[in-house]
Amino acid sequence: MKAIELHGVSKKFGEGSTAVHALKNVDLDFPSGELVVVLGPSGSGKTTLLNLVGGIENPSSGSLVVDGVELGSMGEEELTAFRRSHVGFVFQFFNLIPTLTALENVQLMAELVGRNHHESLDALTAVGLKDRADHFPGMLSGGEQQRVAIARALVKEPPILLVDEPTGSLDLETGRQVLAELRAVTDKDHRTVVLVTHNAAIGNMGDRVIRLHSGEIDSITTNDRPISPDEVEW
Amino acid sequence: MVSILDRKVRRDLKARRSQFLAVVVTIILGIALFGGSYDAYLNLTESYDQLFVRLNTADMTITGGESNAIANDAAATPGVETVSRRSVAEVPVRIDGHHKMLARLVGLPVSGQPETDQVAVLSGAYLDGPSSVLVEQHMADHFALATGDSIEVLGPTGWTPARVAGKVASAEYLWPAPSRQQIFPSFDDFGVLFVADSVLAASPVSRQEVLISYSPAADTSATDTALLAVAKEHGAADATPLAEIPSNAALSEDLAGFQEMSLMFPLLFLAAAGMATYVLLTRLVLAQRGQIGLLVASGFSKRTIFGHYLRFGLLAGLLGAAFGAPLGGLLGAEISRLYTGAISIPFTVTTARISTAGIGVAFAMVAGALSALAPAIRAAKISPALAMRGLVPAGRGGTTLLERLLPPMRKLPARWKSVLRGIGRNRNRTLSTVLGVMLAVTLILTFWGMIDSIQVLLDRQFHQVNRQDAQIYLTVPVTPDFISAVRGINGVATAEPVTDVAATVHGVAKQYHTELIAFESGSAMHGFELDHSRGGLPEDGIVLGSSLRTELDLALGDRVKVDIPDLGVTTEETVAGFVKEPLGTYVYMAAPALQKLTGGSEVANSVYLQFDPGVDREVMRDRLSELSSVAAYIDSRTLESMANQFMGLFYAFVGIMLALGGVMAFALIYNTISANVAERASEVAMMRAGGIPRSTISRLLTSENVLLTLIGAIPGLAVGYVFAYYALATYSNDLFKWDLYIRPTTYAFTVIAILVAALASQRPVLRAVQRIDVATVVRERSL
Repeated sequence: MKAIELHGVSKKFGEGSTAVHALKNVDLDFPSGELVVVLGPSGSGKTTLLNLVGGIENPSSGSLVVDGVELGSMGEEELTAFRRSHVGFVFQFFNLIPTLTALENVQLMAELVGRNHHESLDALTAVGLKDRADHFPGMLSGGEQQRVAIARALVKEPPILLVDEPTGSLDLETGRQVLAELRAVTDKDHRTVVLVTHNAAIGNMGDRVIRLHSGEIDSITTNDRPISPDEVEW
Repeated sequence: MVSILDRKVRRDLKARRSQFLAVVVTIILGIALFGGSYDAYLNLTESYDQLFVRLNTADMTITGGESNAIANDAAATPGVETVSRRSVAEVPVRIDGHHKMLARLVGLPVSGQPETDQVAVLSGAYLDGPSSVLVEQHMADHFALATGDSIEVLGPTGWTPARVAGKVASAEYLWPAPSRQQIFPSFDDFGVLFVADSVLAASPVSRQEVLISYSPAADTSATDTALLAVAKEHGAADATPLAEIPSNAALSEDLAGFQEMSLMFPLLFLAAAGMATYVLLTRLVLAQRGQIGLLVASGFSKRTIFGHYLRFGLLAGLLGAAFGAPLGGLLGAEISRLYTGAISIPFTVTTARISTAGIGVAFAMVAGALSALAPAIRAAKISPALAMRGLVPAGRGGTTLLERLLPPMRKLPARWKSVLRGIGRNRNRTLSTVLGVMLAVTLILTFWGMIDSIQVLLDRQFHQVNRQDAQIYLTVPVTPDFISAVRGINGVATAEPVTDVAATVHGVAKQYHTELIAFESGSAMHGFELDHSRGGLPEDGIVLGSSLRTELDLALGDRVKVDIPDLGVTTEETVAGFVKEPLGTYVYMAAPALQKLTGGSEVANSVYLQFDPGVDREVMRDRLSELSSVAAYIDSRTLESMANQFMGLFYAFVGIMLALGGVMAFALIYNTISANVAERASEVAMMRAGGIPRSTISRLLTSENVLLTLIGAIPGLAVGYVFAYYALATYSNDLFKWDLYIRPTTYAFTVIAILVAALASQRPVLRAVQRIDVATVVRERSL
């Protein structure tokens, strides 16, 4: 099954002379279980693409099917339900709730889909943070916070993980640890990961690389032999 | 030229206009209420003073005793300028041939206005002969008496007609209270008439008063003390300085109230505005760390940054003052006009004062500056290197005290734990919210508590203490035959003879003029709740109003001298108890004990009655007034309804205060909750992106805000109780004893009111949460 299918998808912000075409007539599809890296400079439409796929924005035109679900005609409540069960988000600045421990941050999402305490702990264990479960975000490093954010997204067991600039706030070593987690999500759990970044070096570790420019697809390439996260340099 | 930083101030405020408006509105309210109450206080004080000066009101009035000797000694007392005498008597009068009531007749020279205690003729003319009378304005208005009308006065020869020469105002009777014990008069049953002194002096029931005016340079306190000694030496029944005459004492309570409020309002409202400003600016500084870092890095001095953020507070103060000060002036003039109109003060001052407006502006500017000080200092201290990194610690982590005390709380769902812990997340803001809620609860409970107390105490006074439905005063002593006749009247359930006479109680250093009331043993007409027992009126000794304990420095078991001039008795009695009654300070004695002092003669001068349920009270008034020896009839329910009517202005005022308290709570809570939610925009967006429904997010935020409100409300109830207690205590004296009684429902309603204000104030904020555009937040990387 295709993880994501876009047919003639456009997204326009504003009207008239001030209108900005963030995405222009994009056709795109790829199968599930891949690590897909979306590359492009600022303003190329990367985040808009991520938002459309994640169901937090509606396309201006075109058809959009994610995990077998047609999103184009959905209302707000349906999109909320879709996000709950089909996708997980990881953002650049982690956005952990500072008053909850690492484990509780994960539990917040786990409770949403009826998962229990042990499954939250398993999610944290999977990102190597079992020992930090009772730490509050303020006590964790940037890399640890980002891994908690990944665990928080994964605890719902979404088929698709949407990741926006996951290394943007991290140093090289910590960034590599986070990328390794994301690679593992694809390799071990067979989930689809869509990773948006302006860092071209990260593209080398993707199974598929989509390059965007001015809202249009510049190129789509597949990597037969993606590099290991340890080899990513920036 | 407007600098770019000034433009930034303007645009920053525009972006947060609703929060800024909330601050400005709170300051406007504080300054307007300050101006209103303070101007009213000054206007009323000036109105009274002007009246006292225009009518040459006596500085001291000495009643009874050897008046010749008192007048002579008073004239020789340093500081005394003039001394004069007049006659005064309480006499039954009849209006329209049937309405019997008591009137105080005050003697005036027919030849022209007296030197002291003059009257202002409002309509008609001054006395023109021995058969003319001047009617005090409240009585004239109540009975619609006009010049040329006739009323009847009970003289030695029976009912004598007198012609109304005019309607007058008197400084002594601005508020026509018969005595300090009866501060709430019933206009149906009591009025004041001014008559020819030559006629009144000849009446056997009149008493002499010596009126003394002080020279402008006199030491009022020393002259008061000297004259009180003169009065005591010559056996005077009472000596009353100007400040203590019943009317003046009652009106002074209102003046004190206005003065207190003029201090309390700015304190409460400006504190609330200050906290709201603090919250708004703290949030602004936090959000603008990057901008501040950039400005500092670019060469702006810390002083410029400090001044920039201080300007927000000053601007709030300036705007608040610009609207609040003129509004206060208008309010003050209007309150003065309404109040002087309600009391019927003939010469009034109702100006708006520039000086008050100036103080208001200063208050507002100081409050604005103080509230902006801490955020401005914080802004000036921001390190550009740290600020421009952009990552701001969003808050603190840690389990709550509740979770540590109650371990099962740790098993709460994570979302509810986030609610609990959200409270401790930003302690300064939490403290501001809690303090703000406390202020609002304090304001509401203080005024609501005062309403409760007054209602409960008036109910107690008119149902538990005074248990009679009516009382009648007789022109002759009450006899057993008369009592039997009264009991036989259809509708009368029971009747008892009661003696009600003037009396003076002598303490160690002072004396107190009041009324002595003697009841039958086991009387059903009065509820006695003695401080030390519940045994009712003792057979021996006297029972005193509790304020005499401190007023005359007396204790249980003391022997005190009591003068009862109407009965020609001077006796020494044991203090058998003290009673705490809401209105007045009386002396009580068992009728047999009093009778013993008078040699067994009949001395009761009134009859207290209880009616059968459901009787027509007007019919009862007519039936009882028709009895030949009845001089006056007083319906207790009329007194009660008059007391409640007098409280009407107060209730309206308190109602306005409650509404303003709600506005204040709304403004403050709105600002703190706005800041609370604004700080979490990224978290809210994350939760929305994660699939948490809007309704769940709204519930979580609402729960946190409700919890915060409750945390502030509970100590607010305690502080409100203390405030209400002291507010009422300042009004308690021998006239009123306003003990605080707050109904349990009042606490509940206060908390509900504040919760409603909190819920209402968060509605616009929740709407903003609903509108958070997750995609925009994601795109702008503010997540």
